[in-house]
Amino acid sequence: MSVPAEREPATSAPVPALEVRGLVKHYPGVKALDGVDLVVRQHEVLGLAGENGAGKSTLLKALVGLVTPDAGEIYVRGGAVKLRSVVEAANHGIGMVFQEQSLVPNLTAAENILLGSEGAAVRRGVYRWDVMRRLAQEQLDKIGSKIDPLARTDTLSFADRQMVEIAKVLRIEQRSQHPPVIILDEPTSVLESKEIDTLFAQIRRLREFASVVFVSHRLDEVLDVCDRVTVLRGGQSVGEVATAGAVPRELHRMMIGSTGSDDHYHENAAEPVEAEQPRLSVRGLSGKSFRDIDLDVAAGEIVAIVGVHGSGREDVCRALFGIEPTSAGEIRMDGKKISLPNTRAACAAGIGYVPAERKIEGMVGPMSVAENMTLTKQKARCAGPFVVPKKQAGLVDRWIERLSIRTPTRDTAIQRLSGGNQQKVVLARWLIGGDIRLLLLDHPTRGLDIGARSEVYRLMRELAASGVATVLLADSLEEAIGMADRILVMNDGRVATEVGCPSGGKPSPLDLVKEMV
Amino acid sequence: MPLIALVGLVVALTVADPDFLTLRSLTAVSRTAAPLIVLAAGATLIVLCGGIDLSIAALASLSTVLLALWLPDLGGLATPVVIAVAAAIGAVQGLAHVLLRIPSFIVTLGGMSILSAVALVVSGAGTVRVVDDSTVKWLELYVAGYVPMSAAMALLVVALIAAVVKATPLHSWISATGYSESAARLAGTPVDLVKIGAFCVSGACAGFAAVMLVSRQFSGGPTMADNLLLPAVAAIVVGGTAITGGHGSLWRSLAGALVVTLLRVGLPIVGVPSAYEQILYGVIIVVAVALTLDWSKVSIIK
Repeated sequence: MSVPAEREPATSAPVPALEVRGLVKHYPGVKALDGVDLVVRQHEVLGLAGENGAGKSTLLKALVGLVTPDAGEIYVRGGAVKLRSVVEAANHGIGMVFQEQSLVPNLTAAENILLGSEGAAVRRGVYRWDVMRRLAQEQLDKIGSKIDPLARTDTLSFADRQMVEIAKVLRIEQRSQHPPVIILDEPTSVLESKEIDTLFAQIRRLREFASVVFVSHRLDEVLDVCDRVTVLRGGQSVGEVATAGAVPRELHRMMIGSTGSDDHYHENAAEPVEAEQPRLSVRGLSGKSFRDIDLDVAAGEIVAIVGVHGSGREDVCRALFGIEPTSAGEIRMDGKKISLPNTRAACAAGIGYVPAERKIEGMVGPMSVAENMTLTKQKARCAGPFVVPKKQAGLVDRWIERLSIRTPTRDTAIQRLSGGNQQKVVLARWLIGGDIRLLLLDHPTRGLDIGARSEVYRLMRELAASGVATVLLADSLEEAIGMADRILVMNDGRVATEVGCPSGGKPSPLDLVKEMV
Repeated sequence: MPLIALVGLVVALTVADPDFLTLRSLTAVSRTAAPLIVLAAGATLIVLCGGIDLSIAALASLSTVLLALWLPDLGGLATPVVIAVAAAIGAVQGLAHVLLRIPSFIVTLGGMSILSAVALVVSGAGTVRVVDDSTVKWLELYVAGYVPMSAAMALLVVALIAAVVKATPLHSWISATGYSESAARLAGTPVDLVKIGAFCVSGACAGFAAVMLVSRQFSGGPTMADNLLLPAVAAIVVGGTAITGGHGSLWRSLAGALVVTLLRVGLPIVGVPSAYEQILYGVIIVVAVALTLDWSKVSIIK
């Protein structure tokens, strides 16, 4: 299988541990990978940087056999391979630590480490605990971890569990006789800074006997721990930089691309906000993961909330739509106090919500564009209790045209549209009633390509101009800075600071990051 | 698809027994099918919402007992009262499902057991005879001389519910709830009310099926409708309503109920002992679900 092809002459560089050439992967409406090239050398830590939607996760999935590419080749130590499953990838020595942890909480660390590759720990179908303990200890020793292999996984800290995951992934050494390639997908997103330091020490250790691919959207981390960085944009590799002496700004420009500078966020359409009575006024709102939130949003204003994973900003947003329960505080819309026990109440108050998980929460895939669009507002399509088909059709067609939604017909199942058009249908749902006062946008551009993003941004500007107040949980800091009139930084469930963000006076990402961690 | 099965079955049975395609046997089939159609129609709403109602047969049995017991005192009022009580029992199960966040499968499994036991206690564990059946006898009449009233009423129930669902936002609310409850909730649709409503209508249908049974058998019994649960579920899935929710319709269940009834009637004709009936239902349910599941997958990927 992994018979290395002819070795390169000894004079040139050693054969890369892993090489990807021209990888292409289409999804309906999206080209996730558009000819990606990637080289992972032996005993190096390669960083993979790129915005959401750049193709990072698709590439990683292709490397561990979860996605079959449409075209292109993958070479392991110089030999072309086809990776059809995680097991095949593991046989070639490629393993991944997944973003969502994949440990079984009520098993011991040892069981988790050996899960699926029990080897000598199982004889005649029966666990041999002493062997298991020894094998697991070997794995943990490799990474110098002091975790008790017989501790139940759910009693371990998050960082310790990540160590268990790494120990588990290293089991693939048993399968191939070569140094493994370990992929870490956003391993820092839920760690605290001290834990991150430990992890980085670990990664440097791994380099001694493995190659590491490190994925993060935080450039400072990438520059800190990696030897080299490959930047992805729009499904292509747009650059390769040695981290020694690299400038974050340069990398960043590569990630966003030149299109980013040409008023990507339609800033010239931003209108100054007239300060008057705020449309939304939140005082002292507290819930399970946030405390004492004060938030004002004026009509026509876009307020972005930024914060790391676990800062509580998603829950604040969901609380404003009546999904997440609150324990204290008051919410006023146009001065009138409202209570939001459920989503119905929020809709009635003129609040709309575009969820982050579009495919699961935002839309009903098998239902038509028309049905998805009219799910919420009944008055616009009904006479009394009855739907008037003509009225509905006219209404839906009008909005399809107005938002230039590309769909064959209004009766096409929404799951057949591209992501950007799906998102426009979800947005239209809140607009057709004509009574929308506050829009909560939870990662509205997630998974969209650059063109579709730009259209969503334009739409946001138009809505703001028409007087809709917007709360934005942006996909990236740049998006927040580009779109918002004001930015709230949340940290550990509280509002850390508030930064004005007018056109022409934008803060820098670094200013915000300081407050986030 | 269920229509093809239906026509195929009629043809096959006619070949096996040329006497089958007579007015007499067709009326008999439609009369037998009537309670099943009504039961399946109500339960279809719950399946469309992504749940299942296992208590319909037990609720119908209890309703036959209540009707037989109340007829002497209430007379003509007994029928609407029994249907209303059955609807209320359905709604209570719906409430339990929604408020306690228990899967509908468990709520109605428990409901089935409770309702069966109540029926046994109330009836004294025996058949309750109906002496004066004048107020339920109308269901035994014929429309236009040939069509059994019960069959016509079953058709009417299906048409009425289907029309109301189709003409109102209920159609998209029910589908959205069945396909993706979280998306429906976040779109602000009244998911909980829709579900409770579905259970309520399903209960009412069980009550109405009970009235049909009593009018035919001149009695009520604590296990009288129990053997209709499997056929009703079979009717829904044979009709092509996805057991996972969202996709399907009441009309499909009507066709499914006719298929199931024909199979039941046809087994003796082709010489299969009726003891094998339950095997048939079991096989039908599994095969039909396997088929419908595969279809929906294809339509999603494409």
